[in-house]
Amino acid sequence: MKTIDKLITWSLLKSPWILHFNSGACNGCDIEIVDALTPKYDIERFGIVLKATPRHADVLVVSGPVTRQQAKRLKTIYEQMPDPKFVMAIGACGCSGGVFDGCYGVVPGGLDQVIPVSVYIPGCPVRPEAIIDGVVKMIQSVEAAAK
Amino acid sequence: MSKITIPLGPQHPALKEPENFMLVLEGEQISGATVNLGYNHRGMEKAAESRTYLQTMYLLERVCGICSHSHTTTYITNVEELAKAEIPQRALAIRTLIAELERVHSHLLWLGVAGYEMGFETLFMYTWRDREQVLDCLELLSGNRVHYSMNTIGGVRRDISIEQKAEVSRRIKFLEERTRYYIKIGTEEPTVAARTANVGMLPPAVALERGAVGPTARASGIARDVRKDEPYLIYDQLDFKLITHNTNDVFGRLVVRVLELVESYKMIHQILNNLPEGPIAVKVPMKIAPGEAVNRYEAPRGEDIHYLKSNGTDKPERVKVRAPTLANLQSVAYMLEGGWLADVPLVIAAIDPCMSCTDRASVWDPKKGKMALYGWEEMRKLGIEHYKKRGVNFSGL
Amino acid sequence: MTELIKEEKIKAALEAKFPGVISNAAVQRKNRVWLDAAPAALPEILAWLKAEGFEYLSTVTGFDEGENLGAFYHVNNNSMVVNVKVNTPRAKPEIPSILSVFPVAVSYEKELEDTLGIKVLGLPPGRRYPLAEDFPVGQYPLRKDWKTEDYLAQQAALKTEAK
Repeated sequence: MKTIDKLITWSLLKSPWILHFNSGACNGCDIEIVDALTPKYDIERFGIVLKATPRHADVLVVSGPVTRQQAKRLKTIYEQMPDPKFVMAIGACGCSGGVFDGCYGVVPGGLDQVIPVSVYIPGCPVRPEAIIDGVVKMIQSVEAAAK
Repeated sequence: MSKITIPLGPQHPALKEPENFMLVLEGEQISGATVNLGYNHRGMEKAAESRTYLQTMYLLERVCGICSHSHTTTYITNVEELAKAEIPQRALAIRTLIAELERVHSHLLWLGVAGYEMGFETLFMYTWRDREQVLDCLELLSGNRVHYSMNTIGGVRRDISIEQKAEVSRRIKFLEERTRYYIKIGTEEPTVAARTANVGMLPPAVALERGAVGPTARASGIARDVRKDEPYLIYDQLDFKLITHNTNDVFGRLVVRVLELVESYKMIHQILNNLPEGPIAVKVPMKIAPGEAVNRYEAPRGEDIHYLKSNGTDKPERVKVRAPTLANLQSVAYMLEGGWLADVPLVIAAIDPCMSCTDRASVWDPKKGKMALYGWEEMRKLGIEHYKKRGVNFSGL
Repeated sequence: MTELIKEEKIKAALEAKFPGVISNAAVQRKNRVWLDAAPAALPEILAWLKAEGFEYLSTVTGFDEGENLGAFYHVNNNSMVVNVKVNTPRAKPEIPSILSVFPVAVSYEKELEDTLGIKVLGLPPGRRYPLAEDFPVGQYPLRKDWKTEDYLAQQAALKTEAK
C-alpha cells in the first residue's frame, strides 16, 4: 500500500468522521443515533466524530426510507465525499424500505437502490449497540482489506 | 422582499432545496418569516388503504419515532370504535401507562435538545442519560426502546408482571429526584432564563388564532389538553393537573414541560398501584363494518387527530392523520418575526418539532443584497456566540 | 339521553340556521356531530360554528367517493368535534376556500388540491404541499383510480454505480 493510502486508512480506523443524513426517516433511528453519543453508549470514545459537510466525512450514515426528493440530494452528497468512503444503511428502512416500501413517496427497495452501501444495520429502530457493532465491523473489514 | 427558508434535509450548503421557513433580516433581527412545508412526505395514507387494519397500525406507528404510541392508540381507538369493541380496563390502563412513559421520554428528550441548542451541553448529556431509565422501562414492558408496538386491535399485546411494575416504579422514583434538579435549573438558572425569557413570544390571542396545541399553547395560558377536554383511555380516573404558564415564551414552554413530567410521574404511580385485573385484549373481527370515526389524543407535542373510514372489508377505506407539529408550525412564523437570528434554532426547537435534526436556514439580508446559507450547527453556534458576548455563558455549568 | 344535550343543541341550531343547505345532521356519540353541507355554504357554516365556540380547526380530510370527491372539515371547541362534510362532483371538483374563517387552513387546503385535485376557490397560488416539487402535475395520489404500483413502475431508476 502506498504511504498516503496507509495514512488515510490509519486515520479512518483511528477516528472515522461521520456525516449523518436523514433521508425521510420517522426520527426513530435518528434519536438512537444521537443516543449513541450520550453517556450510556458514548460512541465518541471510538474516535467517531459527527461532521457537518460531506467533504470531511469518511462515513455516510443514512437513516430513513429514501424519499424521492432526498434521493437526488443523497446522490450528490455521496459524490462529494472523498475516497475512501463508506455508507451505512441504518434501520429496516435503509436496508429494504422497511414499512414504507410500497409508499409512493419512497424509492422502492431501500438505500442501496440509490447509493452503494457498505454496512446494513437492521432494526426498527436500530439499537445504539447495533450502530457501534456496525461501525466496529466496518473498521475491521477495512483493516482486513489493508493487510 | 425575498424570503428565507429553513429546510429539512441534507447538509451541504450549496445545494438548493425546498425549504421550510423563509426569514428576512434587518440587521440581526427578523422582519419577516413564512412557513413552507412538505418534505418528509412518504405517502402513508395511500398505503394504508391497501394494508389490513393491523398492518396499518404498524405503518402509522412510524409517522414519528418519538410519539409512536400516540399514533397507534388514536388509530386503534378509531378501529375499535367502528368495530364496537369493548376494550378491557386493564388494557386501557396499560395503554395509558405507555402513553405517560412516552410523554416522559419525549419531554426529557426535548429538554436535552433545548439545552443543546442553547449551548448547555451538560443538560443535554444529563437528560439523555436519565432518559435511558424510561427507555429501559419501555423495553422491559414492550420489548423495544422505541416503537414499542404495545397496542393490538382489541387491547394490548403484552401484560405487565408484578416484578415489572416494581422495576418501573423504582426507575420513576429516580427520575422524580432528577427532575427536581431540572426544575431548579430550568426556573432558577439565570443563563437559561437569559436564553429563553421573552424569546419566541406567542400571545394567547395569536396562539388561539393560529391553532397552537400542546405545551406551545399551554405556555401561552391556553388551557387546552385532550386528556382533560375529552378524556380518553383512563384519564378520567387519574388525578393530575393541567399545566399552563403565562409568559408566552420559550421559558414558558420549558416550564410547562418540566412540570408535566411531574404530573406524568404521578399518573404512572397511580396506574401501577391501581392496575385493574382482567384480560388484556378482546377479539375483534378482521373485517370492520362500514362507518366513520374521529379520535383525538394528547401527544407530547399536542393534539393528535385521526379520521378513519371503514368499508366492511379488512382494509381501511380512508385514514387521515394530523400530527401536532403541523398545527404548531403555523405559530412559528409569528414567533420568529421581530426576534433575533440568534434565537431561531431555540424558538423552532421550543415547539418540539417532529423534524430531522439536520435543518438549515437560508438568510436574506436585503441591505447587503446577500443570500447566506447557514447550517443548523452554524445557527446554533451563532446563537451561543451572540449570547456569550452578552455575558450568557453555559461553559461553567 | 341527558349526556348528549350539548350535541343535540348544536345539531338543532345548525338545522335551524341553515335549512336546505345542510342535511344528514347526526349526533354520532358523545362529543361527535356530523353533517353534510352544500359547498357554497361552507365558509358561512364554519364562521357560524367558530362564533359558537368551535374556534379550532383540527384538520381537513379529503376523500374520493367515486362519483363525488369532497372533504370533511373537523372543527372543535376543545371537547366537541363537529365534522362538516362537503361533496363535489368528480367531473369538476371545486370547494370554496375557508381561509377567511380559518387562516391557518392553508396547508390543509393545499393538500386537497395536491393529493385529490380538488380546486379550492380563493386559495392563493403558492408552492405545492405535500407532494414533492417534481411530482407529476395532474396526478392525484389519493384518488382511488391512482395506483401506486403504476406510478412506481414509471419512475426512473436512481441507482448510483459503485466506483
